[in-house]
Amino acid sequence: MCAVSQHAWFYFLGVRMQRPVLVAFSALIMFLCWGSVGYSQTKPNTQGKKSAAPAKPPPIKLPESVLKPLSEPPFKVAPVERSTRAATLEAAGKIDALLEKRWKEHGVKSQPSIREDQFLRRVYLELGGRIPNFDEASKFLTSRSKDKRTELIDSLLESPDYVSHFYNYWADVLRLCERPQNNIVLDPYLAYIKEKIAENKPYDKWVHEMLTADGKIWENPAVGFQMRDDGMPLPYIDNTVRVFLGKQIGCAQCHDHPFDSWTQRQFYELAAFTTGTRTRLNGTDPEFKKGNPVNQLIKEAREKTTDGKVSGAFQQLVRANQYAVRSNKRELKLPHDYAYSDAKPNDVVKPKVLWGAVPSSAAKADRREQFAAWVVSRDDRQFARNIANRMWKKMMGLGIVEPVDDFKPDNKPSNPELLEHLTDEVLRLNFDIRELVRIIANTQTYQKLAMIHDPSSAEPYHFAAPVLHRMTAEQLWDSLLTLVAYNPWAYQRPTAKEMAAVVNLDLSKAKLADAEKTAANFESTYFLPKYNRDLQKLCGYKGQLLVRASEIPTPVPLGHFLRQFGQSDRETIEGSRTVGTVPQILAMFNGPITHILLEPGSVIYDDVMKAGNINGVDIVYLSILSHKPSAFDRDVAVKEIKTADTMGQGFGNLIWALLNTREFIFIQ
Amino acid sequence: MFSPSPEKLDRTISRRSLLINGTAGLLGVKLLADWHQPVFAAGPKAKAKQVILLTMRGAMSHIDTFDPKPGRDVQGETKAVKTKTPGVLFGDSLPKLASMFDELAVIRSLTTETGDHEQGTYLMRTAYKKINSIGHPAMGPWLQHAMGKISKDLPGNVLVGNGNEHPNAGFLESAVIPVPIGDPAKGLENIKSPGYLSDANFKRRLALANRVDADFREKFSGTEVDTYNQMYKEAVRLMGSNELTAFDISKEPEKMREQYGANRFGQGCLLARRLIQGGVRFVEVEFGPWDMHQQIFTEIPDRAGVLDRTMSALLSDLKTQGLLSTTLVVLATEFGRTPKINENAGRDHHPGVFSCVLAGAGIRGGQIYGASDEDGRSVAEDSVSIADFNTTIAKAAGLDTNKEYFAPNGRPFKIGGGGKAIEKVLA
Repeated sequence: MCAVSQHAWFYFLGVRMQRPVLVAFSALIMFLCWGSVGYSQTKPNTQGKKSAAPAKPPPIKLPESVLKPLSEPPFKVAPVERSTRAATLEAAGKIDALLEKRWKEHGVKSQPSIREDQFLRRVYLELGGRIPNFDEASKFLTSRSKDKRTELIDSLLESPDYVSHFYNYWADVLRLCERPQNNIVLDPYLAYIKEKIAENKPYDKWVHEMLTADGKIWENPAVGFQMRDDGMPLPYIDNTVRVFLGKQIGCAQCHDHPFDSWTQRQFYELAAFTTGTRTRLNGTDPEFKKGNPVNQLIKEAREKTTDGKVSGAFQQLVRANQYAVRSNKRELKLPHDYAYSDAKPNDVVKPKVLWGAVPSSAAKADRREQFAAWVVSRDDRQFARNIANRMWKKMMGLGIVEPVDDFKPDNKPSNPELLEHLTDEVLRLNFDIRELVRIIANTQTYQKLAMIHDPSSAEPYHFAAPVLHRMTAEQLWDSLLTLVAYNPWAYQRPTAKEMAAVVNLDLSKAKLADAEKTAANFESTYFLPKYNRDLQKLCGYKGQLLVRASEIPTPVPLGHFLRQFGQSDRETIEGSRTVGTVPQILAMFNGPITHILLEPGSVIYDDVMKAGNINGVDIVYLSILSHKPSAFDRDVAVKEIKTADTMGQGFGNLIWALLNTREFIFIQ
Repeated sequence: MFSPSPEKLDRTISRRSLLINGTAGLLGVKLLADWHQPVFAAGPKAKAKQVILLTMRGAMSHIDTFDPKPGRDVQGETKAVKTKTPGVLFGDSLPKLASMFDELAVIRSLTTETGDHEQGTYLMRTAYKKINSIGHPAMGPWLQHAMGKISKDLPGNVLVGNGNEHPNAGFLESAVIPVPIGDPAKGLENIKSPGYLSDANFKRRLALANRVDADFREKFSGTEVDTYNQMYKEAVRLMGSNELTAFDISKEPEKMREQYGANRFGQGCLLARRLIQGGVRFVEVEFGPWDMHQQIFTEIPDRAGVLDRTMSALLSDLKTQGLLSTTLVVLATEFGRTPKINENAGRDHHPGVFSCVLAGAGIRGGQIYGASDEDGRSVAEDSVSIADFNTTIAKAAGLDTNKEYFAPNGRPFKIGGGGKAIEKVLA
């Protein structure tokens, strides 16, 4: 790298050698926030000029952790079976045939197919959550392999990028955050979601596991789903039905649903399956046989100190160990102000499902098991239909039923035949959701030029192509990171196993000394203030963690780039947005993230330096927009570079300009 | 009117503003008329020119704040405190607001049909039920659309808080989308170019971006893409503005910052006052969480305490500065909380009846409007719908609430949702 860039550097300076070197040098600094450290190390020949330079930005270095690519993938992902490709393509063909029939019926004009470079960018973004880097783009575009599109889809679906991207999807749906309440440590659950995506666990089994899990979160991280709604047993049932069955029954919590058929009684009957589930240990548990050990330990710790104060880490650690999911037999009663004539206020409610029946296999199981079996049941198609619709939307930008969580009689699917076909597919694939995504990505329809859809239009959308949409906040972040970091995986979320070793306290026998020792371990590792400081040390750059969005502790603060671009606060289901605002533009103009790209050692900087001449224009285009410049674009870019004070400044301007195009932030 | 002190003027910025005015056309922005003729209703009364909306996120308990029920079981641990007016009580965490009762019109008989936060907040902000086929404008965008901007440079609408759930401009033009501010202490972030970037080069960059993106914008015109074109225009205009100090609360004396409270809501309200002074039409400040399903009586003193301190500081500051006669202050929340205290010592969602507050321009203070029943469970008199409440706000701003505005799909909508204004609270 040194030798090449040294040559490149001469060339840059050489462009305007007739001018005083000082001017050229200061202009270069304008292009790149140039760190003097990196500068003197790699460019010894210009070192002598350094002292003559005017005031320049303070030296900033990218963190070491991002500078070298990993030698092996950050984690394992279940491989995609190449031998089933013919079946995948056949299944894709069936979807196309269904859609074409529809287009014919409605006189919908066929949309042009996308070019290779457009395909490349779309699948990287939609399957891997980021744009391809220069090498990946060049490799694909120069390949002459006939099945290179299908092969790219397969290889993306078995990459950590896919896991990261779909984690972000589920994080938005499931409201994933590290501390939903002060003393609930949810990290192992977050890592668990990532693991399930990586191993491609069948979706029905995954959901069933979450709905029935018990224990402490570091013993069984799937309990996190229940713990996320700790203390809110009724909203829990509302959220669960909304996410996994696509129905909004929440209104019926307080009164009969005004726009749907659900009654308040039905809501309570369904809730009766799960309201007995506890998320905290209490007097009925063996751990509490000799009183409340949590209060006892904190009291003892207080007595030991002179001022009666106990550290936040100690309190959080001890209290966090009180959280465990267990079932008990508590009955649910109707509210005291129940106003309908079919029952009396405070009547005990017998559990009953909203439709169909509890599958016979679970008839004798406990109530929570019965509920879970009913939710994921194949007998009723709604569970499969819901995920089919969700994945269709994920890929095409719009659900067949919209909103995806509001299936009801007067909200009809725009294409029932397609929806039922996709539902059949989910069942045929035994809930292999990744395979469904693979099939959709291989359709010709998916590979058509994106269209604009106006949701207020009276005409239903016939899915002649995916809907044009802006990148999500995470796609944008991870794409910018692709231009910067050789290693975007400086660290990963802690897993249940990693955390258990540090935070688990057996409340049935823990003594103060044990608690103190464990708390000290916790305080020096996963206690958030310390954890965040460590992450900053590892990969912080001007306060930003240079790591994949999926690994950044959430919710990120309001002013963070991710929040500015609409990442969810993780309080509401699917709370993320892609609406344009002024602060977003200011962040793209002047924010630290844009300027990281112009630091020595960033991927794009190095790539452009390696070319060292006007060929850099192609590199910039391929790196940022995933295609080569058109003849017009190239003329404009070359003119810009030739007329800039220096070539360096010209390239800086070009990079900045391409980042600030609509083409960059939208997926066409 | 507020104007920045001359010594703070950054010369680079004024040069830039000249330069940028020449650049706006390069951004591919279809110029929209910035000015709309105000649609004032007939009537001689002084009306609000500007509005500050304080949105209480998560549903503020009415019984523990503006509608206490002392002596009833439902009251729990919250006590009541006397206001200036005999017989009118507030929750005991609101002593300062209680002493300012003559400025406030407290509506105690609001009622809504949804107990879902998202739907409820949307309804409160737009006066329309959330549906899939069209987005409704929030009150701020409505006002900017109907009344135009005041300051030419500053945005017409600012939201201090989380923009994600905000209905924004709905079907109105994207120029009225609020500018979200995450951290009031940081104001508008990234507003300055790095020092090494010259004005000339900034202009070059903009021109270059415009040229290479022309095809794409053309191809996908008429959508979200156009919104972004508009946002680029707004951002460039703001960068060139001389009025940016309106966003900088560090310019306030330490004492003033303290008075508002050293927390996000306090500083957010102080920012709101600066923005109102600078000529922003509508500022919304979010505060919460009020979603107290558990341990409500340990949470209320903190949350309501902050509200009391900040809102009272805001009202007296606006008054001192002579702004309260032209600024309407609204305190709103999506619904109330159950009178019944649940097993976790919390209160759950309660759309049946709840309270909101109006003060300042266009409002006759010192009154309670409507009433809940003895336990705060249902409306006892003068029921007020969300549309009625929003119509009252629009009317206080002097707008014609019967005028129909047509969305692009041809459907008519009214500012305030076609409700009936509460004439008794209007000045």
